[in-house]
Amino acid sequence: MGSWGFVGLAYGVASVALIGYLLFLKGRLRGAREEFAALEREGGRRTR
Amino acid sequence: MARLSFAARLHGGAAALLLAVGLYWGLLAVPADAFQGEVQRIMYLHVPSVSTAYLAILVTFCASILYLWKRDLRIDAVAHSSAEIGVVFLGITLATGAIWGKPTWGVWWTWDARLTVTAIVFTMYVGYLMVRAFAEEPQAGARYGAVLAVLGLPAIILNHFAVQWWRTLHQPSSLIRPGGPSVAPVILWPLVFNIVAMLVLYSYFLLERVRLERIRHRAAESRLKRGRRG
Repeated sequence: MGSWGFVGLAYGVASVALIGYLLFLKGRLRGAREEFAALEREGGRRTR
Repeated sequence: MARLSFAARLHGGAAALLLAVGLYWGLLAVPADAFQGEVQRIMYLHVPSVSTAYLAILVTFCASILYLWKRDLRIDAVAHSSAEIGVVFLGITLATGAIWGKPTWGVWWTWDARLTVTAIVFTMYVGYLMVRAFAEEPQAGARYGAVLAVLGLPAIILNHFAVQWWRTLHQPSSLIRPGGPSVAPVILWPLVFNIVAMLVLYSYFLLERVRLERIRHRAAESRLKRGRRG
């Protein structure tokens, strides 16, 4: 592997890690928001 | 809520823009190093990653001390979030260090003091996340995690000074050293810019991760209220 190969590998690995973490975080945020909204809806129905 | 998510989008957009400029600066605009050649460009990624990981661990340490004092789960949310992001940046540091090590030292890995202590700190923080994940009570998980995080700071200090205290393959620090940075301005400025870009990304990740913890706490409270009513 040439010099640019190592540079590409390093930046590639870091990009995958950072984009992967961002998507993982966004997915968990979406899931938590949906769960909370469902709980609130259910709670509202019970109160009525 | 809408305004908050607009601010979050703006924050994320600023991080992406700064990283793109830093990428261009480090990969294309800066001349190749006289000794290492093109492979030295990995430094514009490796040093910002380790700086961000150090900051994440410092934030985790401070928030953990505050949590042990105040016992407030909102403070623990900052410690937990920062530790998780710190693990990501420590992982990137170890990976990019190994990739940089192969063409410069001839090996992917060596049991050098700096590398070994970094691997130990990484393992400690993975352990921290496992303790948090497996704790049955949030308060207990926060307490065990805080104790682990307090132990993590001396490891980071040891890591910083490892290159001075032992004979290592890893070069001594060229930024934080007595007498100021030892690198030429043509290398220093893009390096500082990339560190700032990575710190903006860290702050974006941290705010989003803390928001996730808040939603989870509110959902847990809502579940608890329902349980009491039912």
